[in-house]
Amino acid sequence: MKKLVAVLLVIMLSLTAFSALGETVLKLGIYPEDVDTAALEAHEFFLAEFAKALPDVTVEKAHYKYAVDTFVAMAEAGTVPTIFETWFTEPQKLIRGGFVADITDELNELGWTDKMNPTIRSLLSDANGRIYGVPRDGYALGLMINAEVFEDAGLVDADGLPLYPKTWDELAQTAVKIKEATGSAGLVLLAKDNAGGWHFSNIAWNFGATLESQDETGKWHANLNSPEAVAAMQYVKDLKWKYDVLTADPTSEDWGTGFTQLGTGAAAMYIAANDAVSQPTTNNGLPVDKLMMAGLPAGPGGQYSLFGGTPYMFAANATPEAIKAALKYLETMGKAPVLSDPAKAGLVADAKARQTNGTPVINEFPSWTDADLIAARQAVVAEYSNVDTRMFQNYFDTVAKEGNLRMEEPVNAQDLYAELTKVLQAVVTDQNADVQALMDTANTNLQQILDDTVNK
Amino acid sequence: MRWQRDLASWAVMLPGLVLFAFFIWQPLLEAIRLSLYEANGTRVVRFVGLDNYRFVLTQPDFWPAVGNTFLYLLWSLIIGFLLPIVMAIFIHESTRGKSLYRTAVYLPNIVPSLATVFLWRYIFKSDAYGGMNMLLGMLGVAPQNWLNDAGRVIPLIVVTMTWKGAGATSLLYLAGLQGISPELYEAAVIDGANVRQRIFHVALPQLYNLARTLLILQVIAVFQILYEPLVMTNGGPNNASVSLMQLVFRYAFEKFDYSRASAISVLISIVLITLTLVYNKVNREQDM
Repeated sequence: MKKLVAVLLVIMLSLTAFSALGETVLKLGIYPEDVDTAALEAHEFFLAEFAKALPDVTVEKAHYKYAVDTFVAMAEAGTVPTIFETWFTEPQKLIRGGFVADITDELNELGWTDKMNPTIRSLLSDANGRIYGVPRDGYALGLMINAEVFEDAGLVDADGLPLYPKTWDELAQTAVKIKEATGSAGLVLLAKDNAGGWHFSNIAWNFGATLESQDETGKWHANLNSPEAVAAMQYVKDLKWKYDVLTADPTSEDWGTGFTQLGTGAAAMYIAANDAVSQPTTNNGLPVDKLMMAGLPAGPGGQYSLFGGTPYMFAANATPEAIKAALKYLETMGKAPVLSDPAKAGLVADAKARQTNGTPVINEFPSWTDADLIAARQAVVAEYSNVDTRMFQNYFDTVAKEGNLRMEEPVNAQDLYAELTKVLQAVVTDQNADVQALMDTANTNLQQILDDTVNK
Repeated sequence: MRWQRDLASWAVMLPGLVLFAFFIWQPLLEAIRLSLYEANGTRVVRFVGLDNYRFVLTQPDFWPAVGNTFLYLLWSLIIGFLLPIVMAIFIHESTRGKSLYRTAVYLPNIVPSLATVFLWRYIFKSDAYGGMNMLLGMLGVAPQNWLNDAGRVIPLIVVTMTWKGAGATSLLYLAGLQGISPELYEAAVIDGANVRQRIFHVALPQLYNLARTLLILQVIAVFQILYEPLVMTNGGPNNASVSLMQLVFRYAFEKFDYSRASAISVLISIVLITLTLVYNKVNREQDM
């Protein structure tokens, strides 16, 4: 009996070893978690379609939620999934560290390179123009609004749509009315981590600031203490001390808690992007038809929306075959500039999953410029729409304006955000904080960092 | 045969040595090496000498972190050093409910560290719904800034650490007290010593050596404070509670820059080794 088992084991092992030779394994880090049933259903469909297209590829469902404390260990051990989703802050860091695969050749072969939105492509490329990722979707910051709170405060027009603020001044006034009428905070301001500085940089632009500049010698300059930037910071300080419309403790608010405050109605407005509409609704219970998005308000310096993309990236040790398989899978999902039948079906599956989950089905940011794909996606969105499109009209109108979209500041963005966040923490915790002095210090600090890194 | 006896001892020690080498010594040496190199992840690229040290020393957050780390140390000695001794003596001298007190002081220590930190973050929240502010509200006092106050944040974090750690330390002192020969007490009582005299002339001198060891252990532990400020304040407001270890965390996990993370770690070790050596030397001179 023992002998028989041993023989069987040997046979099985050698079969496995044999089959592993020359076989392409796609470790699918973007496969959803076990609990996300609607998304799982959609992915089972993608898998079936994918298997029809590439029957020889073995797919491993390897759900991986990118996390900075696990990633490097996995990369050094060679266990990063073939394809994984990461955050918009990470691509340059991952490229510099050699943690991700160069997929330029694969993209060229498929003819996708020129179809990628050029701005997003530059975010995913190194200095030599080699490309390391593809966009899941693009995003631009806007103003998310809890329509229930606006209704409670009576801030609705004749059609019952929230009267959203169009300038930062109006935002402060609106926020005051909301706080008086409902007790909810007017705005969630983030001041816990770098997300605070990230949001603030967009406010500063609308006050007319440019936070980094490069002179003709190529040297980078910090520009945090310009009158415009200081005015923007003073505005934030006023939101806390003059208008008192922020949530109780901005220093404990981060990207995620902001959505909780907004979704639960503890706050009425929040700076957030279109790719995060599932956060207040599905994740925090706001009814799908009570979420509104407007463009970020205009300021004395104009109206800009910070623009970027959430990327898919590929393990450094992935084989070209595995990368191609991963790209094929994206095509099945409708996340590629190819409008195949599976892609069409994929778009529908995705929209249905959103409907089931109570996530707004709205237009995406075109991260690929393929006209057919964009048209097809719009058709699907129109068919499966579960929201009043007027609730998102101003957002899409704003970001469609010429010159509204703006890339984040070009160098050491995270260091810039860290410096701004420190100032935010100071002005929302200390009524007597000297905004000019704090911004001067932040400017000196950032300049020091620039001189030690990019100016070296 | 001698070597046979030695071989047996080595064999007994071997698993421990292997584990130590693998989990402690090798990473330690690796960190020192990494701090002298430019690296991608943990793959070294080229030798850069002391460049990483120069870099971290000139960054804007470095000196605030150094200052704060020493402030943590200072406050932990003020708040946290004597308290366990007092608690131990109190338990030792109490005539009823000794085991109840013993269990009670140790309870905070079995609460998971992160839970402790979240609990106290809630208590010291600066809005009207923070624990302290709700208590104050009952007394009609307006909400106060707690962790949000740059001047209060470090002592408050030290209170959190003390709440968690003091009980365990006091049990060590209690063991020390119970190790004191009863004859000393009896002699003192016969000579007419009261409680105060018993404490100052019998108990405390007997605890001196233990306290000396625990002091330097406390210094070493507090100097490496990381997760309390990381979770409670993320180093804020405006760097008022950022610690050196938090900079290590940021270099390693936010920037994936393990060389510079290692450089700060090595600097921390140098400071701690120096402090320990000086402390031991001073102690030895006192003993002579």
